[in-house]
Amino acid sequence: MAPTEYGIVYAVHIITVQFGSVVSKVCECLLRRGPLSSRDISRLAESEINHNQVKDILYLLIQHNCVQAFSVEPPDGSENKAITQYIVLFNNVIHRVRYNKFSRVVNEELGSQCGAVLDGLLSNGRLTLGQLIERDRDSENTIGSEAIRDSLEKLVAARFVERIPSPEPVLGKKEEGPAAKKRGAKAAKILKEPESLEERILEAATPVEAIRFPHIFKEDLSSSLADNDSNISEGKRKQRDVESSDPSDEVIWRPNFEEFIRRLRHKACVEIVKERRDEGCAIVLKAMLEVGRSQEKKVKTDKSVPMSMGSIYEEVIKTEAGRTMLQERVEACLEQLSASSSYLPAFVIETDDSYIVDFKSIISVAQKDELEAVIMGRYGKEAFRMFRYLSQEDRFVETDKIADAALTEKKNTPQILLKMWKDSYLHMQKLAVTGVYVPFLLWKVNKLIVSRQMLDEMYHASLNLSLRLTHEVDSEKELLLLPMAKLEGALKERVNKIKAKRMLLSSTRFKLDDSIMLFHDF
Amino acid sequence: MSKRKRPEPKSSSSMGGINEDEKKLLTLIRSKEGMGATTFEMKVGTSIQPTLITRAIASLKRNHLIKEVPNMNNKGIKHFLGVEFEPCKELTGGDWYIDGALDVDKIEGLKEICVKILERHKNRVVTLDVICSYFEKVMDKDKLTKEQTKEILKNLVLDNVIMEVKSSGLSEFSSTRIGEVCYKLTGKKSGGGEARAGAFASVPCGVCPHVALCSPGGVISPTTCVYFQKWLDF
Repeated sequence: MAPTEYGIVYAVHIITVQFGSVVSKVCECLLRRGPLSSRDISRLAESEINHNQVKDILYLLIQHNCVQAFSVEPPDGSENKAITQYIVLFNNVIHRVRYNKFSRVVNEELGSQCGAVLDGLLSNGRLTLGQLIERDRDSENTIGSEAIRDSLEKLVAARFVERIPSPEPVLGKKEEGPAAKKRGAKAAKILKEPESLEERILEAATPVEAIRFPHIFKEDLSSSLADNDSNISEGKRKQRDVESSDPSDEVIWRPNFEEFIRRLRHKACVEIVKERRDEGCAIVLKAMLEVGRSQEKKVKTDKSVPMSMGSIYEEVIKTEAGRTMLQERVEACLEQLSASSSYLPAFVIETDDSYIVDFKSIISVAQKDELEAVIMGRYGKEAFRMFRYLSQEDRFVETDKIADAALTEKKNTPQILLKMWKDSYLHMQKLAVTGVYVPFLLWKVNKLIVSRQMLDEMYHASLNLSLRLTHEVDSEKELLLLPMAKLEGALKERVNKIKAKRMLLSSTRFKLDDSIMLFHDF
Repeated sequence: MSKRKRPEPKSSSSMGGINEDEKKLLTLIRSKEGMGATTFEMKVGTSIQPTLITRAIASLKRNHLIKEVPNMNNKGIKHFLGVEFEPCKELTGGDWYIDGALDVDKIEGLKEICVKILERHKNRVVTLDVICSYFEKVMDKDKLTKEQTKEILKNLVLDNVIMEVKSSGLSEFSSTRIGEVCYKLTGKKSGGGEARAGAFASVPCGVCPHVALCSPGGVISPTTCVYFQKWLDF
């Protein structure tokens, strides 16, 4: 899904705040125009940035995992050399405001030492073990090189940290060989929608599992791995050996955002179930997620693998909260989780003796709440009913039918519907019928359009919160420079006020970001 | 469907003073019963000139042979009915309309009663029949039909105040048939949890009517926004 307009503006804002306006110019150019070569960037970026500067900026953005280089294999027989192009990774730019959420996940699960190592990687983008140790040596609370190595090992084992991807994967030509065409109609059906360019590049850049998260962990491992690379990853990944030209010849590590988003997704699911069902159900679901996690291929999985009652119970009793639960109780929770009504869909699907977590339905409940709260707040109770009716029906419905179903005044119904349509929350079609003076209006809730609209507005709101925060702090800049202890009376009150404002604005942005993830990443 | 109010006027005496065109129109209008005919339909249905139609309608109205009824769904279009017919549902808007306006008070009142009934049965689900029988007992005049009660309940479901559940015949559904549609309140106590408040809706921008016009440095901008000002006014 291409980023929305305000998604781009927000991403550029994040880059401006963290790296300055020149870097953000390059970033914006890539976000708006898609993949470009460094020459094209210096030509197309709005301000005068020379080619060398562009290159430096691109290296900086690559270091911080915001940009990925790639090249496309030239057509057969062509003598032209493949030109390196750069693509901006929109998601990774947005992830930059979530770093403390990622850090918290690690601190909770693996302890503060691992948290410190991760923080080093987050703030520097990518580092080698040697650099991590050096960084620790220079810091105030040194934890020692052994501890750093242990922590990194743990982080890699838990997949929170990965080996950096190939610096410049070569993409094959778009047309697939005859082998692909020979596949039967059945196979074609199973194949999903075509991948976007970004997905293709990332897939080509990502090393195979064993190299991405190596099990054996030695300092001198890197060189042998680099040798193996060229054997394992033929074709697309042949560029890997460029890495071995690194003078230190050490493996470079970076945070694995995919795993963080997966953890946050699971956390959000448990939270939703806890709110909507009860504590017991949340414990059972958490255990189920734990059982199925290693089998999850991508973050946005709709459904988990089937799990047996035995394996779920085994996991439940591992946790402190679950130790008091009898199998009977777990069974009852599973039954509750698989119940459905007009109010809540089933969260778990039961199929002969095994259970499947329905991620999609759990996430959809929270998305629906978020969306309906906006409709209620912005357009009122009647609009809320109409919107709910239309999302329930999931088809085009005529104005009068909507008024009848929602029991709203027929005179006002078109106005309310039009208002929502104007803001892109509803989809409308005119139906002209011969013999009838005015065309019929048909309405529908198009979930894709609505989610995109919501997402765009949420990026906009996040941007506004951030801008307002800067504005508030700037307006009291001088006051904040004064030492707090010396302030009295009205001045002290002003400082407290600005602190409260800062608190409200940043905590709201933090929560809003959870909702953005709900619509974009989960 | 539509009932006749008074006996049909004798054609010989009352229609004595009208001409051929008017007679044709009146027959057409009467044939349409409760739905009546629009001027457009009259033009199509008879071959009378438009100007003559207008004149004929005025004359028929003067003679109290037809009446004019506005269309609920389409205020611009007038329907002409024979005086002896009552306008049908399509024109008046249905059971919930009184004199062309939705009877909001009545609907809200009925909704409240439904919620009270469900509150009383907190631990059990309630079937449609139970609610219907309650209304039958309580209301003396204008009794609600089963369809109307259903409409009220559907509306409460859309309000997210109550929910519809299919009976499984177990525990809380013990006194119901399996598969029967039952109702219960939403909210914490009923086991469905409450809907989230919504993070976006709690930000001023989430409910802002001018969000589309707002941009950094624009006429409406986050730094000058009055809603933000209000929100941050401690």
